[in-house]
Amino acid sequence: MGTTLLERELKRGSAEVLILALLEQRQRHGYEIGQLITDRSRGAITFHIASLYPTLYRLEDRGLIEGRWVEKAGQRRRRYYRLTADGRKVLKSQRDVWQTFFLALDRIAGIS
Amino acid sequence: MNWNARIREAFASRGHVPDGDIIEELSQHAALAFQRARAEGSSQEAAERQVDELIEAWTTDANALRPRSEQSTAIEPPVTSRSLGAGLIQDACYAVRLLRREPGFTALAIVTMALGIGATTTLFSVAYGVLLKPLPWPNADRLVRVTETRGGRIGRVRGTVMNGAYLAWADHPATIDGLAGWIRRTQTMTIAGGEPRRVPLIAITPSAFPLLEARPLLGRSFAEGEGARGAPGVALLSYGLWREQFGGRPEAVGGELRLDEQPYTIVGVMPREFAFPDREARLWTAWVVPEVAGPQGLLTGVIFSALARLRDGVTPAQASAEATARARSAPDASTVAIALFGAKEPIDIAVTSARDALTQDVKPGIVVLLVAVALLLATATANVASLQLARAATRRHELAIRAAMGAGTARLTRQLLVESGILGLAGGAAGLALSTALHRLLPAILPADFPRLDDVAVDWRVLLFALAISLITSVVCGLMPALGARRVDLAESLGDGGYQSRSSAGARTARIRTSIMAGQVAVACLLLVGASLLGRSFVALVNADRGYDPSNVLTARISLPAAYSMERRIQVLEGIIGRLRGVAGVRDVAYGNALPLLTAGGFRAFKMRPPSDPSIEIDVNTIERVVSPGYFNALGLRLTSGRSLSESDTMSAPQAIVVNRSFAAKYLGAAPLGAMVPSLGMCRGNSDRWQVVGVVEDMRQGAVTDLPQPELFLPFRQIGCTNAVADPILAVRTAGDPVPYAPILRDVVRLEAPTLALDAVMTMDDRMMTSLARPRTYALLLAGFAAFALAIAGVGLFGVLSYSVAQRTREIGVRTALGAQARDIVRLVVRQGLAIAGAGVAVGLAVSAAAVKSLSTFLYGVAAYDAASFIVVPAVLAAVAILACVVPARRAANIDPLRALRHS
Repeated sequence: MGTTLLERELKRGSAEVLILALLEQRQRHGYEIGQLITDRSRGAITFHIASLYPTLYRLEDRGLIEGRWVEKAGQRRRRYYRLTADGRKVLKSQRDVWQTFFLALDRIAGIS
Repeated sequence: MNWNARIREAFASRGHVPDGDIIEELSQHAALAFQRARAEGSSQEAAERQVDELIEAWTTDANALRPRSEQSTAIEPPVTSRSLGAGLIQDACYAVRLLRREPGFTALAIVTMALGIGATTTLFSVAYGVLLKPLPWPNADRLVRVTETRGGRIGRVRGTVMNGAYLAWADHPATIDGLAGWIRRTQTMTIAGGEPRRVPLIAITPSAFPLLEARPLLGRSFAEGEGARGAPGVALLSYGLWREQFGGRPEAVGGELRLDEQPYTIVGVMPREFAFPDREARLWTAWVVPEVAGPQGLLTGVIFSALARLRDGVTPAQASAEATARARSAPDASTVAIALFGAKEPIDIAVTSARDALTQDVKPGIVVLLVAVALLLATATANVASLQLARAATRRHELAIRAAMGAGTARLTRQLLVESGILGLAGGAAGLALSTALHRLLPAILPADFPRLDDVAVDWRVLLFALAISLITSVVCGLMPALGARRVDLAESLGDGGYQSRSSAGARTARIRTSIMAGQVAVACLLLVGASLLGRSFVALVNADRGYDPSNVLTARISLPAAYSMERRIQVLEGIIGRLRGVAGVRDVAYGNALPLLTAGGFRAFKMRPPSDPSIEIDVNTIERVVSPGYFNALGLRLTSGRSLSESDTMSAPQAIVVNRSFAAKYLGAAPLGAMVPSLGMCRGNSDRWQVVGVVEDMRQGAVTDLPQPELFLPFRQIGCTNAVADPILAVRTAGDPVPYAPILRDVVRLEAPTLALDAVMTMDDRMMTSLARPRTYALLLAGFAAFALAIAGVGLFGVLSYSVAQRTREIGVRTALGAQARDIVRLVVRQGLAIAGAGVAVGLAVSAAAVKSLSTFLYGVAAYDAASFIVVPAVLAAVAILACVVPARRAANIDPLRALRHS
């Protein structure tokens, strides 16, 4: 039970930084984001699909990312997300926090 | 697979369906997940099952999927199409989508263009309809107006000839096919059993109808010889009068009506479109131009308007030569000629196009307004071009990508032209709608006496004109950004957004926009100077000293039947003014045969020995007014010496006259009082000699710009003959607003003389304002154009400065970071705004200084180089410029240096 709780908290906390990081380089749509998280963590973090969109919308509400519909001739319109200036700032500070956290874990528990 | 419906269903079963955009986003996710599952080898069913699980998972936390604020869709440009037609349609669709994305810009552009195009189209329509359109008669290009001058002087009634010249030419002319003459009259019409009413009518020679090739709708037109003295009176009804008074009944033809108590037989009805010489004419009566040599050797001189039709191939100059030669050898009523022209000879007969003669008075005004409206259109177009340039600058990225993807310059230019073409057509359509509405308002906007308004209509020429100027403005607006797009450099635009590259591109746009802006300020400056001059001139016209006081005076004309004796006339008029004097609030009441801006009364020419040198005889040529004693007070004339006419100046008293300052100065010398004026042709037998008892200040009969004329005032009760006072005018000076006294005046006349009709009931102020309707209209229209140009300049300046601030965000950030204060930044922006405005004002003032000369004919009481106008206008423009600077300057001052630097 404890493990699951921790797992959930970790996931929740990490979900945001993961999304922000994935949008750092270029704009992506929702499916791509979900897929990348699964693929890049080699399946270790299967982002719970139910929480992907709520997380995206929450980030958007906070102005950290910006979604917009893009229409290309001959294609359905798609919703792309990209990082805002505020999102970039938050990503940087989150990275610092996580770095400190991992450093601490490494020093104490030998986890790196 | 319709994932959209499936997801919607799943959410519906949980009782919460999120926003449509969210469903759409999820269904795309579902589609992609399904594709991937299939690609990885899952069966159709297995893949569907996987996706269903996914959907199930989403619905567990449905409330977290809140609706988002509406966000717009980014629009990708179309790929290049093979065929031109399809490409254009594609471009048009793309452009419409882009324009809908920017409703603010689109609306501003369309409204600006609509105002410019609407105003220009309307004025074009007026100019075309009034100045260029042929008159509505067959072969109208050969119709000419005939006017007489003597010793280079035109007649007292403009554009007229005398009977001598007319009759000399009418007899077998070589250069014309026909000649017709007419006189305007207002007479009291009575139709059996009806109330008497005043109608404006035209007494016209029977030759006019074949000359105009006009045929009546019913009955016949006049036959040769009808209208001669002693012959039975015949009349033709206008369509309007026939409908109003005779209910459009054909039996009206052959019926009778009375004009000033004389019987007339109605011989026909003219068609609805027949309006000669204009719409004012309700009725035509046959008239014959009287011979100069009358019975008992009396010479008769009559002045009237005349029209001729040139023979094929004859020039107006040839016709004029023939008419002049004939007039000079014809018998002449020379004393009448002196009274009417101020000279006897040499006679010259001018022959001018009937259309030009009709419209020559309004032509300069129309030309000035056309120039003004063209400037307005130019500034409106420049404004849209400037907006387009700003948009193009923000779209450099898009244009660069498209250029990189293989879109050639021509392709991009086409796209931009299609875009501005759509804007132009939308603006043109809105402008045309505006113009159509303005056409309906024209009779209210333009002065009542503006000629040919009936001929101003939205027709195919106007439509074509609107389309043409819409397309021209579109091309101009589209070409500017397109020229910019030609130089789109991919590396520069897609590079890392470095300060250097962006600024060089932006600077180019900014330079062009700045020049446009200065031009717009210059146009606004020019129009404002023009409007200020015309406005000040109008105020000067209103306040000018006319020699009489037009405020609080009610005037009306009353027509007395020719059969009334002089005693009867005086009795009726005295009865009316006696009753009016008893009305509370009435200060002075008078009557006379003359009123400024309505009728001068009579003209008189005679020989006199001046008191200063009785050994010589001089020709006197004067306006003659026959008035009641109260006339001077009622009109507020100012007595400069002697006395005015009094109640005691009756038939039995010595004959007294009052002259005006011009008469005294010109004919009587230093001591006018007591001077004797010889026979005035009044019915006084041997005692027709008059003594000057007073001198009044000159008054202006017509326009205040006309030179004062010699005038003399005779007492109504001393002249003894009725022909000088056929239609007396009443003048009532009241303590306050005279308008409420109009019904009282009518009641009094009805009580005193039930069969008499009043017309021309109007306050003197209204008469004056009506006479100033043209200068007022020109001033108001130019002021409207100037206000529009000023608004465009203000908004434009605001746009340019905002753009510039956005472009210079980094620079301003650096300045702030280096310690610049907010006020330094504000100063930076304001300085830029004022520099642009200053350049525009400098150019505008220079152009104004050169252009105002052409306005000088419109100006009264204000110099073309009016210092106030040339000082106030730049001040107004400076104020508008500062106002336009405020928001961009504050925005600049609030730039956060850290964000600005990061942003770049």
